[in-house]
Amino acid sequence: MHSCIHSHRSAAIGAVLAAGLLLTSCAASPGAGGGTPVKGGTLTYASGDAEPTCLDPHVGGNYPQALVSTQYLESLVSRDGNGAIIPWLAKSWTESPDGLAWEFTLKDGVTFTDGTPLDAAAVQANVAHLQDPKTGSSTGYLALAKVTSTEAVSAKVVRFTLSAPDSALLESLTQPWLAIESPTGLARGMDENCAAPVGTGPFKVESWQKQDSVVLVRNATYTSPPADADHTGPAYLARIVWRFIPDSASRFAALQAGDVDVIDNAQPDTIVQAEKGDSITHLDAPRPGASNRIELNSSRPPFNDPRVREAFIRSANVDDAVTSLFQGTAKRSYSTLSSVEATAVQRPDLFGYDAKAADKLLDSAGWTARDAAGFRVKDGVRLTVQFPVSTNQSIPAERSLFEQIQATAKKTGFDVVLTPMDLASWYTALGENGYDAVSAPYSKVGPDVLRILFDSAGIVPAPSGYFANHAQVNDPEVDALLTEAAAVTDADKRAGLYTQVQNRVLEGFYILPLYDQQNHYLLSSRVSGARAMPTVSTPTFYDAWLPAE
Amino acid sequence: MTGTAAGALRPDGAPRSARPLRARPWLAVRRSIPGLLAARLVGAVFVLWAVATITFFAIRLIPGDPAEAILGGPGSQTSPEALTAVRAQYGLDQPVLVQYLAQLGRLARGDLGRSYALRQDVAPLLVGQLGGTLLLAALALVVAWLFALVLATWSTRGGRFAWYLGSGLEIVAAALPHFWLATALIVLFSVWLGVLPPISTPGPAGLVLPVLTLAIPLAGFLGQIMRESLLTALESPFVLSARARGEGERGVRWIHALRHASLPAISLSGWAFGSLISGAVVVETIFARPGLGRTILNAVTVRDVPVVIGVVMIVAIGYILMTVITDLAQWIADPRLRRR
Repeated sequence: MHSCIHSHRSAAIGAVLAAGLLLTSCAASPGAGGGTPVKGGTLTYASGDAEPTCLDPHVGGNYPQALVSTQYLESLVSRDGNGAIIPWLAKSWTESPDGLAWEFTLKDGVTFTDGTPLDAAAVQANVAHLQDPKTGSSTGYLALAKVTSTEAVSAKVVRFTLSAPDSALLESLTQPWLAIESPTGLARGMDENCAAPVGTGPFKVESWQKQDSVVLVRNATYTSPPADADHTGPAYLARIVWRFIPDSASRFAALQAGDVDVIDNAQPDTIVQAEKGDSITHLDAPRPGASNRIELNSSRPPFNDPRVREAFIRSANVDDAVTSLFQGTAKRSYSTLSSVEATAVQRPDLFGYDAKAADKLLDSAGWTARDAAGFRVKDGVRLTVQFPVSTNQSIPAERSLFEQIQATAKKTGFDVVLTPMDLASWYTALGENGYDAVSAPYSKVGPDVLRILFDSAGIVPAPSGYFANHAQVNDPEVDALLTEAAAVTDADKRAGLYTQVQNRVLEGFYILPLYDQQNHYLLSSRVSGARAMPTVSTPTFYDAWLPAE
Repeated sequence: MTGTAAGALRPDGAPRSARPLRARPWLAVRRSIPGLLAARLVGAVFVLWAVATITFFAIRLIPGDPAEAILGGPGSQTSPEALTAVRAQYGLDQPVLVQYLAQLGRLARGDLGRSYALRQDVAPLLVGQLGGTLLLAALALVVAWLFALVLATWSTRGGRFAWYLGSGLEIVAAALPHFWLATALIVLFSVWLGVLPPISTPGPAGLVLPVLTLAIPLAGFLGQIMRESLLTALESPFVLSARARGEGERGVRWIHALRHASLPAISLSGWAFGSLISGAVVVETIFARPGLGRTILNAVTVRDVPVVIGVVMIVAIGYILMTVITDLAQWIADPRLRRR
């Protein structure tokens, strides 16, 4: 229920009534106290994510950057809770009949916090910045791959010319990694822009003390909230202190002690503990894009045999492990996509735990013998599954889940070798094709993430060795469906094509879906009006306020 | 590492001389401060070169491409064009040996280079982080000494019960891992009692828990050594003669015996300072304090070679300085080293 958030429109009707309604309609709603928003105050946010190395999400482009930049940068368009694209910095847009030209009309009277006006030239400068290899944009660069040129039709209208139709363009543009920054700010050079990017957002960067905190202050002349915001005009909060507290236990202790108001990366045990009392509220905001899943490498034995892939999936008792390890905070997924995505296809019929079926499948695949340790053997080779685990990208509960899968798969005769690695080593192991199973999150707005994860083009590693099709799905039919879906703008037809892709991938047993990519915030009940953006589920504090001291 | 140190320092019951733990034969020969400093300087240059070299190759031997880490992180896919640009920008396309020599050349000129990940020069970055860690380490050292002194003097005069209690407390304290102690202190003082903040705050209150976390295990080590040598000192003839001269018990303990007994602990303080810096990695991460420990942890994760080498060099210089200071302190505390 990521969309279950506190609404101030209803709060304005009548504080008591609204509070009562909200409490019954949305138990997990942060700040269910209601009342009239108070101006001023400092909110302290504690992030468990790594401290960004650059506050401009054009550079690189990862989730820690998205978290903080949501407070000071804005995108051309946004997405509402139902998945529909809504106006933000662009008030309207049109697509040419051939899908090769898009025109965006910008909101009037918007200026960046350095005084530079938002106009077509500013948008052009941002596209150029994202497409410049020197910027080192990963996410934004890929999202604009089909944009060949931009043009200022008038001061307020900018045209994008595409090499091929791109049904995912609007969804891509909602993401914080493609936010629009001041061209004057960008012209200062990367070092200065990384330290304090200039946007149109409700807050602006005041200072950044490395390894400690970023201080954000209210943008007093703010005029450009997204269409689904609860109020207009400047934000209520005067300041946000954005801290980095990597240790989960100290982060939660700081929230309990009242030293911070909001924490992210809340772990299952702290969520359960927080839900027992009423001083802390829980905001569950799964990330969009792919579900968290184990990808089975279909390019090499043993998982080049679909029967062995299915046997592994049937041998893994995921449901019981998720229930016990996540203590009810994570819901089992049977999809390639996050439940946030309207196009997600759930196939619980394919992923039930069935050890007997797994045994039969392995027998039919020729893995009939067992060695002294009880593992299956074929032609003198043990049925081994190399599973490198990135400790940076998985929480402790998830690593325990992998161990439980290892234990249940052992009964069927799989020797699952879990190897914890840091991120850089993990990338290398993947690049060398030295894995049979792997789990990697991928956040992106919209079902186009399927193209990244399952198109055969994603098997070819970049010079770095990086690639996203870890299951190494190499299926001409999947490729054809994905290519068609990327070009079709009719929503129903597009959804139909993505349904076919998903069914084909799920029925091929290339992946074992686990749950949505977990993204939990815990908020002091003093905080009202905070919500997660329906784009990439980063929190926004534009509508948020704290009671008067 | 700490386990073997504790093992080596356990009393075996036999009376022991209060000689410094680490033998320094050359110290006994030269006995002059300039000579001592000159010898130290030559050693220091060699140590710094070795440290830089080992660190450089160690971090390059771990698999992983710094360029990937500079651009990436979880959930982001890096374009080949961006990687090429970054490799060229940071000289990562050069052979490793060329990169090593370039690094060494910069170090020789006192240039720590530029961070791959943080987009700023390493020297000002580390200077900004140094203060927090030094303050933490210095306070922890002082507090550990105070704890150890009090425990040692109390347990050597309090009879058999105090002896066992003191000895037990020291063993437990010395064995406490920093991450466990930090969490326990947070639960006790921040969550249950609500008297101290669990994270760094502008005021001094935020320093209390991190300092205690570092000081308590160290106090265990120092206390063990101090009590052992204090006891030996109290049984020595010079204490007997002091008593015979009619000195009070307090004077005997605090002036004569403790001076004697503090020698091994002083010599251990150089090592302790280094261990405090490594403890800072854990403590700064848990208590969300800015500092060198947190810097090096982040830098290793992203293969930020210049920052890792920078931190290691600073810590090595710190070790060397502490060794010189402890030598001088011994020279002051131990008249035998000064005579002639």
